[in-house]
Amino acid sequence: MVKPVVRIDDLRLEFLSQAGAFEALKGISLEIGEGEIVGVVGESGSGKSVTAMNLLQLLPRTKINVPTGTISVLEHDVRAMDEKQLQHIRGGEVSMIFQEPMTALNPVLRVKDQIDDVILRHKDVTPEEAEEMSLKLLADTKITDPRRVYESFPHELSGGMRQRVMIAMAFSCSPKLIVADEPTTALDVTVQAQILALLKERAQTTGTSVLLITHDLAVVAQLCDRVYVMYKGEFVEKGATKDVIGDPQHVYTRALLNSLPEGKAPKSRLATVAAAMIEGNTGDVIDEPIEQVTRVARTGDTILQIQNAVVRYPKEYNLFGRPITFHTAVDHVSVEIKEGETLALVGESGCGKTSLANAVVGLNRLADGEILYRGKNILDHDPETRREIQIVFQDPQSSLDPRWPVWRIMTEPLTVGKSPTKAELRDQAASLCEMVGLEPNQIDRLPHEFSGGQRQRIAVGRALSVRPKLLVLDEPTSALDVSVQAQILNLLLDLQDEHGLTYLFISHDVAVVRHIADKVAVMYQSKVVEAGDSEQVLTAPTHEYTRTLMNAVPSLKRAFAA
Amino acid sequence: MGPLVPVMHQLTRLVVLLFMVTTLLFFMLRLAGDPALVLAGNDATPEQLEAIRAQYGLDKPLVIQYLNYMGNLVQGDFGKSLASGEPAMGKVLTMLPATLLIAGLAMAFSIIVAIPLGAWLGFKPERADRRSVSGIIFVFQGVPGFVTALIFIQIFAVNLRWLPSLGMEWGTIMEWAITESFSIPIPVPSKTWILPAASLSWFLMPSLTRVVAANTAEAMREDYIRTARAGGAPASTLLWRHALPNALLGAAALIGTQFAFLMGGAVITETIFAWPGIGWLLIESTQTLDFPVVQSLALCIATLVFSVNALTDLSFQFLDPRLRTKGN
Repeated sequence: MVKPVVRIDDLRLEFLSQAGAFEALKGISLEIGEGEIVGVVGESGSGKSVTAMNLLQLLPRTKINVPTGTISVLEHDVRAMDEKQLQHIRGGEVSMIFQEPMTALNPVLRVKDQIDDVILRHKDVTPEEAEEMSLKLLADTKITDPRRVYESFPHELSGGMRQRVMIAMAFSCSPKLIVADEPTTALDVTVQAQILALLKERAQTTGTSVLLITHDLAVVAQLCDRVYVMYKGEFVEKGATKDVIGDPQHVYTRALLNSLPEGKAPKSRLATVAAAMIEGNTGDVIDEPIEQVTRVARTGDTILQIQNAVVRYPKEYNLFGRPITFHTAVDHVSVEIKEGETLALVGESGCGKTSLANAVVGLNRLADGEILYRGKNILDHDPETRREIQIVFQDPQSSLDPRWPVWRIMTEPLTVGKSPTKAELRDQAASLCEMVGLEPNQIDRLPHEFSGGQRQRIAVGRALSVRPKLLVLDEPTSALDVSVQAQILNLLLDLQDEHGLTYLFISHDVAVVRHIADKVAVMYQSKVVEAGDSEQVLTAPTHEYTRTLMNAVPSLKRAFAA
Repeated sequence: MGPLVPVMHQLTRLVVLLFMVTTLLFFMLRLAGDPALVLAGNDATPEQLEAIRAQYGLDKPLVIQYLNYMGNLVQGDFGKSLASGEPAMGKVLTMLPATLLIAGLAMAFSIIVAIPLGAWLGFKPERADRRSVSGIIFVFQGVPGFVTALIFIQIFAVNLRWLPSLGMEWGTIMEWAITESFSIPIPVPSKTWILPAASLSWFLMPSLTRVVAANTAEAMREDYIRTARAGGAPASTLLWRHALPNALLGAAALIGTQFAFLMGGAVITETIFAWPGIGWLLIESTQTLDFPVVQSLALCIATLVFSVNALTDLSFQFLDPRLRTKGN
């Protein structure tokens, strides 16, 4: 092996708090060679970001304890270096790219100041030379008008553009190593594809090593030479990407791969990590076969028709507070759903899919067109019938009232216009818990006592409380880890089977949509550009945009075919 | 949207606000007492009262009086002081500079101290030294402004006899002769300014410091600070270049409200220090039910507070590029 750029040996790390020490890293060892792209993949809380941050000693030293381990970066023993020496390395020989391009750049400083600062700090150049270098770097990241971007404030740029700026900044002082912590997670898939390609291209031309931290196995497959799989502060498996993903040895890696909807039969049950890891994570446990069920296809009459729907938001107001210009979020969209079916609206951020979903449940007013439920305008139905349509939101962290116990959250819809007793409500909540796979004795707990997946189960339970016929699911799994996503998808499919529910499923994730949906409508720039049976649309797309979208989605299969 | 629309917007709001303030005050003051009684004195006969009412138009129905009053206002006539017969607004405007002087001094001093102190406190709020300073500031915040003023008078004026305890003088101008024919005028502030300004800023500083400290601490936890650290930025750059400009947004909002408070709260300090400003005038004219003066004061204060709020809004746009209008 070539001379290692990074070498971590038996590193243990604890976070200190008043509650005691929490062991985040349990003796990890890692090596990155010159020019290598190495991935660390794991779910939230696995310790992958801690590994990245600790490489440059960015964690507050007073709040952590490192009992054993050495970290050598470019032959520096970084643990022994003081802040001054570290500042010399940071941004110079080693630089970082972070996840959230929206918040990772200072909102009150222009791009020019933020890049020039780094260059002037590490290189002996004049401000004019720094400017020239910055413009060259921005041009290298395939920004067509570097001068405009250079003069801009971060908020004036799109997410993808900001991440290009971050990449330009990271490469500014010709580093030997770049640590990229979830560099594309917050971006749309088409932008993600460009950024990943850019990162790879820049690393290869400059011979820079990359440590890529991600939760997405498909991204690893596309980019990395070698991969480490992380679970609860340990590397449970490592090796060449092809071997690890093609022939996983550890039960966790297998479970993680099996929980991905890609390549599985549509509507089949997906494996979940929790089931696989229950026996301990020794690696030689034999995977439990997943109990499969036959899904009944029940297609009935048309339940929902959206006809020429238009949603507009006011953009500018006149003196008297009347809106004078509008942004059209949904532009004459027509789709329909048959009872018992799942229709997926798929598209990237800002395409109007959530605006349309909100209009269906009455959270948005239509500027034009109508929405018919069972053949009658939704606004003309009595409240009892309108209640048959319920919604589940994307982020269970923020969509549940943090001070309410589960039973109150779940049964709140039952109290609208009625006054059932507390005992009745608690009974209802207990049976709802059972329905969505929570323990009935947990109904007195508060939302923060649950994990993300459990919270999404609470949200689904709340929606089910009024026995709805149609559920609007707005990105119900995007805020969740893949193995948790698998649990929720299993739950949704089981519930649909049992109760004959109809779903309007909003998502940006093509693999998830292919797994769960019967019909698909692809939205792009406020319009539906293509619609039809999901299998047909997603395997043989006819519209230009659908094709771009399909090609941009990171895919295990495609990564290995290449 | 034309560039003048925001300005028109603000002006419309100002006119509506002034209309509401004057209307409300007109009726409230009429409830407080009969101005004819004040004008005529205690031992006036009913005939004298009638005569006065007729002279000032006080015998007309209240609505007519209100319409007359508003009509005069629109023409720029704010009425005459019932006590001295001078134009009411003129009286207010001659007192205003003294109040503005002391408010400006107090705010400037408070800002100069609070921003660096707050930044220092917020940079590493968990350290023992910062925690104890924060504790002291917290105690200061609990002491009412007039108590500090009285303590200052006791120490610096009564015991030490360094400074005058009351009254106001404008500063003098000293001519600094460079050559025989050329000299530079240098304004020398008066000693009388020190105690009132100090006790006011003593009151303003703690809350401003705490807001700057809290906002700095929050900014230090932001992702862009992590980015800057990963780029090798030293601690001083993190604080002064990255965190503080973001922290000042919250401080600007507080400074705006503090100014509004100073205009109304001037009453207390100006009474204690016998400072001839609008606070002092407000007390005097309220006690004598000198309605035109009270009305003019209210208009004047409302306009000032409104303008400062508008300026605060503008300063947000200066401090936060995200609020600047797009398209340029």
